[in-house]
Amino acid sequence: MTDFDITSKERDGMAPHGTKVGLLRVLGPAHVWALGVGIVLVGEYMGWNFAVGKGGAYAALIACWFAGLLYSCVAMIDSEVTSTVAAAGGQYTQAKHIVGPLMAFNVGLYLVFAYTMLEAANAITVGFLIDTVAVMSGHEGLDQRPFIVLAIMFLAWLNYRGVLATLTFSLVITAIAFSAILILFLATSPVFGGDVLQHRALMTDLPYGWLGILAAMHFGLWYYLGIEGTTQAAEEVRSPARALPFGTLAGIMTLLIAATLTWYVCVGLMPWEYLGQSGVPLFDAARMSGSTGLMVLLGIGTLFATLASANGCINDASRAWFAMGRDHYLPSWFGAVHPKYRTPYRSIIFLVPIALIFALGAPLDQVITFSILSGLLEYTFMPINVILFRRKWPLDAIKRGYEHPFHPLPALVLLCLCGIAYFAVFLGYGTQLVAMIAFYIVVSLWFHFWRYRFVRRAAQFTMPWPRPQGY
Amino acid sequence: MARYEPPTQSKLGQIVDVIVLLVLTIGALYIPLWLGLAGSAQTSNVPENPTWESLGQNAVMVEKWNQLGYADPAAAAELITSRFDYSFSIGSLLMMIVVIVGYYAIMLRFSEKEYREVISEKFNGE
Amino acid sequence: MDIWNILEYVAWAASAAFGLIIVADWLRTDSTYSEDVLMSSREGELEAMTEEHKI
Repeated sequence: MTDFDITSKERDGMAPHGTKVGLLRVLGPAHVWALGVGIVLVGEYMGWNFAVGKGGAYAALIACWFAGLLYSCVAMIDSEVTSTVAAAGGQYTQAKHIVGPLMAFNVGLYLVFAYTMLEAANAITVGFLIDTVAVMSGHEGLDQRPFIVLAIMFLAWLNYRGVLATLTFSLVITAIAFSAILILFLATSPVFGGDVLQHRALMTDLPYGWLGILAAMHFGLWYYLGIEGTTQAAEEVRSPARALPFGTLAGIMTLLIAATLTWYVCVGLMPWEYLGQSGVPLFDAARMSGSTGLMVLLGIGTLFATLASANGCINDASRAWFAMGRDHYLPSWFGAVHPKYRTPYRSIIFLVPIALIFALGAPLDQVITFSILSGLLEYTFMPINVILFRRKWPLDAIKRGYEHPFHPLPALVLLCLCGIAYFAVFLGYGTQLVAMIAFYIVVSLWFHFWRYRFVRRAAQFTMPWPRPQGY
Repeated sequence: MARYEPPTQSKLGQIVDVIVLLVLTIGALYIPLWLGLAGSAQTSNVPENPTWESLGQNAVMVEKWNQLGYADPAAAAELITSRFDYSFSIGSLLMMIVVIVGYYAIMLRFSEKEYREVISEKFNGE
Repeated sequence: MDIWNILEYVAWAASAAFGLIIVADWLRTDSTYSEDVLMSSREGELEAMTEEHKI
């Protein structure tokens, strides 16, 4: 198989030079970093603090680090597989080559739903933030809907027009939002801020004991949720085997720093009972620091973080939807690429009304839980994926751009942490968990017994790899 | 081995498939909501005539509460005493485990079957 | 009617404008190019040509 002739007409799904218009390879490692961190950083500006509410301040820190460990495993595993399977669709394409079509279909749906829901949640937050500003300027009863719609329409347009501009935009606003966290930390630290932070007086014992730490893992995922989206850019990166591992691992390091700093500043400024239910914790923290400049900065940071996140989500969800359409897992109509802008334009258009339905019609916590659960199911798939990958193609069978160390330890750690996270979601949100999985069981049966008949069998295996061992 | 030739799907069929997926998605999101099963239980146990001391708040915390706009203990009492209910039954825990493990088991089984077909068509034809 | 009311209308108008631009371009693209060209993207084509998965 390795000695194939690439001009052969026989090769499945790959008529040589058959691609008349494909996605454009223009991105560098910085864009990969911006895509990964951009989606996630909003978690530092809102949402992570519910972990404080579920288990207390220390529980949130422990959850932050355990979730960090979980995501470090995710990033390492992802980097290895993706540096080898570099195609739009990311984990979907990985699953297709390594586990099997039905798994791939499920993974594709996890991706689309996790990102589209997150996009809806971001748009809701934009509306909320603008309303807050309006109230501060003395205007009550603002209609938030036009701003929610505008955020989604503008970002969809940006995505439609081309990936380079989209991710350059993400890069700039993500860098500003990240700098805002650093500036807040420096300005309130003992070096510059005097005695603003009051950790000694504000920290309490664990209000729920150890069970609270487990429960806090649920929202601990929010510190990092979405970093795995870097792989969606694989088909548009100039040098995927190098840029993807670099961008992804740099991204997870950035987030570990940002998450810890955010926790440190916030718990030093607010009683945990308040922090645990705050809508915009970093903005509140800036408010408590007593500086108007910081308040404006963190307000802008919150807005930019939500926009960067929604932007990355549109990018990732449409790539996954596009890749599934291209393989006929979904109607093939979605597999089209815009001849001028080189974007999967039909997928981008299709996902706009869906995001609008959820942003305007569903409650925020419901949308967030849907997103977290889809993410969690995806992380459970990753260890299975990498173990099978190493078994079917051992290290000497194909060339990898990056090999993650200590295999299979990261995979097993990841699997255990996923188990803990399921339990954490179960504490309080058990019904949604079961409803969600019931949904995936039903669509799996639908795919296996109906939809799969439209898929070409061998054509979906596109990587020029040797036959997997044991098959 | 005979190559599998998929049927071509009509435009109408494509649209129907998309609608089926959409209905299922929206159902999964809204059905728990309609049944009133969504969200987690949080209860507050507010004491009568709460004071900052009885709520366990020290001087610094009181200062922070004031800064946040909670001028008197009664206003903040509900927030401070609000707690999640983490009690659960072993039965529902077991049910969750069965559902998750069952889901992955079914999916991996079907995937494996489809995957073998893909590999044999891909590599046996050459 | 204060600045915020005006902003609401501006936001509605801008949303509609972005929507119209996208839809107009979509319809124009679909009618200008054939489906064969639009759907010709293939997964993994570049890998097959540039990357040797041999050691």
